[in-house]
Amino acid sequence: MLRKKAGKQRALRIYFATDVHGSEVCFRKFLAAAKVYEADVIILGGDFAGKAIVPVLTQDGTLRARVGGDEVAVPESQWDQLAGGLGKAGLYPVRMDAEELDRLTADHAALDRLFRGEIAAQMQRWCDLAAERLDPAVRCIITPGNDDPVDADPIIAAHPRVECPELELCDLGPVTMASLGVVPTTPWNTERECTEDELAKQIDEMLDPLPAGRPCILNLHCPPYASGLDDAPELDETLKPVIRGGRPSIIPVGSTAVREAIKRHQPVVGLHGHIHESRAAQKIGRTLCVNPGSDYSSGVLRGAVIDIAQDGSCLDFLLTTG
Amino acid sequence: MTSSEASVPAGTAGTAKVGSTPSTRLFVRQTSGLVRDLGIPAATGISLASVAVVNTFINFNAGLTDFTKADMYLPLVVAAGIWLVAMFAYRYLLRAVPRAGGEYVYLSRIVSPAAGSVAGLGIAVVFTYVLSTNAHFAAQFTPFMLTGLGAAFHSTAIANAGTHLTSNIAIAWLSVAVMLIVAALSLFSVRIVARIIFWLIVLQVLAFLVLIGMLAANSHADFTSALASYSHNPNAFAAIISAAKSNGVVFGTSIAAGVAIIPFMVLNYNGVLYSYYVGGELRRPGRTYLYASAISIGVLVVLWIGVWALLRARVGLQFMQAQANLSVVNPTAYGKITSLNSVAGGLGYGMILSSDPITKILFATAVPLAEIAVNLAFLTVTTRVLFAQAFDRLLPVRVAKIGDRNHAPNVAIAIVLVIGIGFCFLTSLVNLGSIVALQSLFFALILLAGGISATVLPLRRADLIETPGMAEDARRRWLRNVTLVGAATTILALFTVYELASHSSVYGKFSLESILTLVIVLGAGPVIYLIARTVRRQRNALDLSMAMRELPPE
Repeated sequence: MLRKKAGKQRALRIYFATDVHGSEVCFRKFLAAAKVYEADVIILGGDFAGKAIVPVLTQDGTLRARVGGDEVAVPESQWDQLAGGLGKAGLYPVRMDAEELDRLTADHAALDRLFRGEIAAQMQRWCDLAAERLDPAVRCIITPGNDDPVDADPIIAAHPRVECPELELCDLGPVTMASLGVVPTTPWNTERECTEDELAKQIDEMLDPLPAGRPCILNLHCPPYASGLDDAPELDETLKPVIRGGRPSIIPVGSTAVREAIKRHQPVVGLHGHIHESRAAQKIGRTLCVNPGSDYSSGVLRGAVIDIAQDGSCLDFLLTTG
Repeated sequence: MTSSEASVPAGTAGTAKVGSTPSTRLFVRQTSGLVRDLGIPAATGISLASVAVVNTFINFNAGLTDFTKADMYLPLVVAAGIWLVAMFAYRYLLRAVPRAGGEYVYLSRIVSPAAGSVAGLGIAVVFTYVLSTNAHFAAQFTPFMLTGLGAAFHSTAIANAGTHLTSNIAIAWLSVAVMLIVAALSLFSVRIVARIIFWLIVLQVLAFLVLIGMLAANSHADFTSALASYSHNPNAFAAIISAAKSNGVVFGTSIAAGVAIIPFMVLNYNGVLYSYYVGGELRRPGRTYLYASAISIGVLVVLWIGVWALLRARVGLQFMQAQANLSVVNPTAYGKITSLNSVAGGLGYGMILSSDPITKILFATAVPLAEIAVNLAFLTVTTRVLFAQAFDRLLPVRVAKIGDRNHAPNVAIAIVLVIGIGFCFLTSLVNLGSIVALQSLFFALILLAGGISATVLPLRRADLIETPGMAEDARRRWLRNVTLVGAATTILALFTVYELASHSSVYGKFSLESILTLVIVLGAGPVIYLIARTVRRQRNALDLSMAMRELPPE
């Protein structure tokens, strides 16, 4: 459906969400967003992998697990309910016995394999779900973030219904989108990190083939530095939030390379995530930069609806909470 | 070192350890955002730092001038009880919406997006109004500050300067100056602003503690003698009481007056639950928030009841009632007896008891410095509320523009400054008691929004507080408790609003300017929401109702 605004017509509606961190309910909402917001393309912009495994101990017909800091015990018949509740918050419930639990506690390599297996299995399920639920006319794009294991990329890329144009240019009709999930070095030494210089180089190399004057969208997981999209609590050397003046100190933690790239290339829109608490929209030059934020742990999907005109310009946007 | 994103779901961060039973473990992988969350001491510090302890003297004064037979014991205790009940309601709201954005977000998520938007705009205006009233308080205390500084530095010129700054227009311009100082300071880096706030808080808390020590160390006779010496009138103490009697001031205590003052003392504790604003950074948020808030309320009850008890013992209730009322009903008669600023209350008593310049400076500057600290923190909160409205497209996006050079929200600060200055002139036309009453009313309405959100939470959004593994009957009981606590908070907030609106001695004092402020604050939300929605519809832009449309997961 085309819509007129200031003489321009809407040619493309994008729905963008990010940082769902394994939340089953958020991913299902992400798929539903295509219909609710009448989007032509839905983009999940990185950090789809969950952060924690909840060992669910099976003992004498009872399931025992640690939930929200408390010990819970339920009959085995309530497995679906327990697993569903944990999955909603992005946790991976894994049934095991005491022996397996001890082994994983001691064997970090085995634990890492278990994590990767859970993430891969979940991504496979999600891609299948997208194929099952999405209207064939809707494009579904999932790009990774710094917290996503690199071995998840091939699973998405190989799936016929989902696209994963990481470090690539992707034609969306009136605009071309370039995506990169790498972020500048963090204190947590995650899987996709590099220096600011390396990040600048990767962005430039990715944009090299873009024809001059072609409108583009930069889907960069890390937001630009000091843009209002990158405000996060300052941490001390023990990773504890710093309190100043009776409040947690909030500082910009985005990327200078991303900011420079946006200033230099002036894409139509910058799609960002990474900093959950910094939901914001800002203009840098002519570029509308958006970070919809994330509230995955409470099962709420934050996103952004962006309308693009036939000439590739941005018509309108709306930050959503669903 | 910085956090690059949110921590893992509440209660899970950093729990990859072996507990007492094999299942008390959680495996957390190395991802960004895994932080060591704030514990009870830090959360308590945040709560206490959000309360301006010396503002209690302003609220004591408002209670004494607005009601006859006023005493503060009952209102201080009951108000603490109201906040204790509200604390549980906010605990449930924090659990449902961990990364809280305050009542605006609660109403949006739980009641309806439109209600949230309207409340958000109202709160933005209320906060701007509060910025100007805080500036007004600082301005009101400027004459007292100059008197104190004059005494400390033995300068008659400084002391006399204060006497020229008591007219409405002088107070208005002083308020504007305070607003400009706050706006200018807020353009510094976050670290510098935080340091300024920290030291200003330290100074006001120090002044409060020194005052307690001074009142404890001196006797009633010491006070009457100090007042006589300060006023150059050997019978100043008795003369004030006598003049008050002849001007119709009624002495004593009454439960009715105590009940009527409760809203003022509710305002006193405002900020004590603010650790819920950083819910996302708290270790086991519900528990930590509960302990921190309860400890903070307890500390404040002890401090304020303690200082009131000392004031009663050393100064006397009759004198405080006489001084506060005489200075309002017959300022000429009061001025003939003494030049002691009656609004200063306890700080004024401390000043005349003080014999050294350091404590005189502390008492003199406590309120203006406290107001600047509060306003510096409040300006950030207010600009963030404006940001939220801009991101929801109720205000133009450029309202949230971050400056390219200083990375500060210059546009939002300018808007707050302009509206705040307008309020400064409005508040200068209203007496202090009415301002306190209006502030009490606004914060009671905000508390009401929180109470309503908690009440309807189990009915409308039980999914937000699902507890994996909880038995169905236990869950039903738990949800019932949420409703009961929410309803109790709602009733107590309504009681506070009723107490303010039903007493002619408070509400009846509302002037045209005061009513105008009330109308602007309460009307801003619906008006702006309707304008934004209509304008966007006319432009055929994205429908605002899409912003919080519920997405079906299945």
